[in-house]
Amino acid sequence: MFIHNFKYSLKTLFRNKALIFWTFAFPIILGSFFNMAFSNIESSEKLDIINIAIIKNDDFNNNEIFKTAFEELSDKNNDDRLFETRYTTEEEAKKLLEDEEIVGYMKLVNDEPKLTFTTSGINETIFKYVSEEITQTSNIIKNLAEEEIKKEMIAGNYNIDYESIYNRVIELTEEDNVRLNNVSNSNLSYTMIEFYTLIAMACLYGGILGTVAINQNLANMTNQGKRVSVSPTSKGKIILSSVLASYITQLVGVALLFLYTIFVLKVNYGNKLGLDIALAMAGSLAGLSLGVAVATTIKSNDNVKTGIIIAITMLGCFLSGMMGITMKYIIDKNIPIINKLNPASMITDGFYSLYYYDTLDRYIFDIGSLLIFAFVLIAISYISLRSQKYDSI
Amino acid sequence: MTVFKTFLKILNKNKFIIILYTVFLIGFGGFNMQTSDNSTNFVASKPDIMIVNYDEEKGITKDLIKYITDNSNIIELNNNEEAINDGLFYRDVNYVIYIPENYSEDFMAGRNPEINIKSTGDYQSSFAEMLLSRYIKVANIYQKSIDNEDELISKINETLSKESEVEITSKLDTDGLAKATFYYNFASYSILACLVYVICLVLSSFKDIKIQKRTIISSTDYRKLNRQLLLSNSLFSIILWGVYVSLSFVLIGDVMFSNQGIIYLINSFIFTMCATTIALFIGNLVSNKNAINGIVNVIALGSSFLCGAFVPMEWLPDGVLKIAHILPSYYYISSNESLKTLEVFNLETMQPIITNMVVILGFSILFIILTNIVSKRKQKIG
Repeated sequence: MFIHNFKYSLKTLFRNKALIFWTFAFPIILGSFFNMAFSNIESSEKLDIINIAIIKNDDFNNNEIFKTAFEELSDKNNDDRLFETRYTTEEEAKKLLEDEEIVGYMKLVNDEPKLTFTTSGINETIFKYVSEEITQTSNIIKNLAEEEIKKEMIAGNYNIDYESIYNRVIELTEEDNVRLNNVSNSNLSYTMIEFYTLIAMACLYGGILGTVAINQNLANMTNQGKRVSVSPTSKGKIILSSVLASYITQLVGVALLFLYTIFVLKVNYGNKLGLDIALAMAGSLAGLSLGVAVATTIKSNDNVKTGIIIAITMLGCFLSGMMGITMKYIIDKNIPIINKLNPASMITDGFYSLYYYDTLDRYIFDIGSLLIFAFVLIAISYISLRSQKYDSI
Repeated sequence: MTVFKTFLKILNKNKFIIILYTVFLIGFGGFNMQTSDNSTNFVASKPDIMIVNYDEEKGITKDLIKYITDNSNIIELNNNEEAINDGLFYRDVNYVIYIPENYSEDFMAGRNPEINIKSTGDYQSSFAEMLLSRYIKVANIYQKSIDNEDELISKINETLSKESEVEITSKLDTDGLAKATFYYNFASYSILACLVYVICLVLSSFKDIKIQKRTIISSTDYRKLNRQLLLSNSLFSIILWGVYVSLSFVLIGDVMFSNQGIIYLINSFIFTMCATTIALFIGNLVSNKNAINGIVNVIALGSSFLCGAFVPMEWLPDGVLKIAHILPSYYYISSNESLKTLEVFNLETMQPIITNMVVILGFSILFIILTNIVSKRKQKIG
């Protein structure tokens, strides 16, 4: 009987087109949209070459420091290249600025840079900052050279080799002696969260499968349920086999999504794939238990039950960052208890910790929470199923 | 009137969906609308930096912290690595500077101590690194010839205080315009989803085989029925548009009363009309009520993601934007985007926007023709 019911539950689940669309196809479609929309965000947040113009007046032509600095910063072979510089007249620069070809232009007046932008912004700030840096460097050179000359004079040496002093000072300013050591974790791609919430969504949507499978055995839901109720078979076996069938259907769906995100969308799950799979299975179990609990405890029609699961799933995904990644962070930081109870967030956070952290404490906490969540809901369903009796339907 | 009453009944049954999309619009449209001072002066961008200081706050360390603080937004997170790492991942902070123990002493002794940093790798963090490097570089240069810490600090500050003069040419309220564009871009999703959902449901209710048989044998002319359906659907579209526009006046304010505001209105009206024709086409094509929800999500989410309603167009890959050309939302959104920087209004500057509007109208006509072809084929029922 177990095998018989299991087989037919599988068949009915796989033949329900609307169900298969929402649990199998929809996450994949949504994932493809995410991929198209977000694939460029992070690279566009990298510092790009900034288009600028410099007005080629006498001031600029005679100012070696500015000239060489901008030449170097615009050099195509320089790894630290910042600018694409055009040398123009003031009229041309104004026209370029109007046409948004450049972010701004610089004009040297008495060796002081004057900048013109259309608005404020990060590129403008960097342009301004670099121009200040060059002014500051000339200021250093001036200060140090004066200092040196003073020293020579005090030493009684009036035959001063100005050029060698200047060269020495310039050499000093060109020395690269900033020692920074980057200790950040390497996996910093935050758009991954979107795909993790997607898996969370698929896991929880799977609950609908559980609801449908259970409904088939409930006397107050379907005619089939009435027949099952009066039949002399063990209810435990029937329920268990239906639940198992929906769990397997769910896992097929999540596995497909996993394969699609790994091979087509190139989502990075870190390097512990086994743990990722365990997490997805625990997540699916949590989704299943949610579906079963809703099916058994809420006495209403099919649409209301599915509606409740969708609502819980979407709210959970929203809080774990699907519609804006920072949402998860805001909740985690300010009201952590919400996401500790939210299954979508447990799943998302589990993937995140595998991807971003080397240690497993957080992952174990997440997967443990999921299992507890599933256990509590299954216990509730068990109690409520056991006591169900119908005087009349 | 019967038709219109039925229409209202169905509408009333589905008011939850309409409210939901409207809440989305207000939520997300409003979420992005933190007000900031709009000024015509230059406002330097400031990266979000966190400083973890293991040294005493004195001497060169204190001055370094002061320099970074003046040029950035200092973020205070719990000083544990997990909070900092989370903060970096979610871009709450762009750059973390760990000042080592005995930094100022080691620095004055000429040992040039190494500083640990954490960085998100985006442009904010690049700028943060420029700030930090700048300070260290200047300090290092002076340190070679100056031994007195106070003198050194005052020299560093003298050098770092040199600023460039900046002039801003645009008199546009860029902040307000950005908000308006974001709102109207997002509205394209709400409008499309709402209209397709509601209109499809209405049409499919009328196409229910029993109801259709009854309407066919009734004395009401089918042309009259179709006309009334079209009228009530258009009325619904216009009301929805009206609601969203009024919301925009409340949420965005001033900008909506400018020239740009008028064009946002016209543009969104034309798009609403186009969305109505799309909804009519899909409603005629699909008669399965269960399928409608799926179709709405795929079409509305798809065109919104591809055309930049959620993620700004400038951040979308070129390939995606090329595909987006086949969708009307693309033309609507690119008009909104170009409004952001439009300063002079004449035929020449307005030309791209007008072209976009014509294209959207073209789409509408195309969908009307397609609807006619489909409904003609589906006229016979067995």
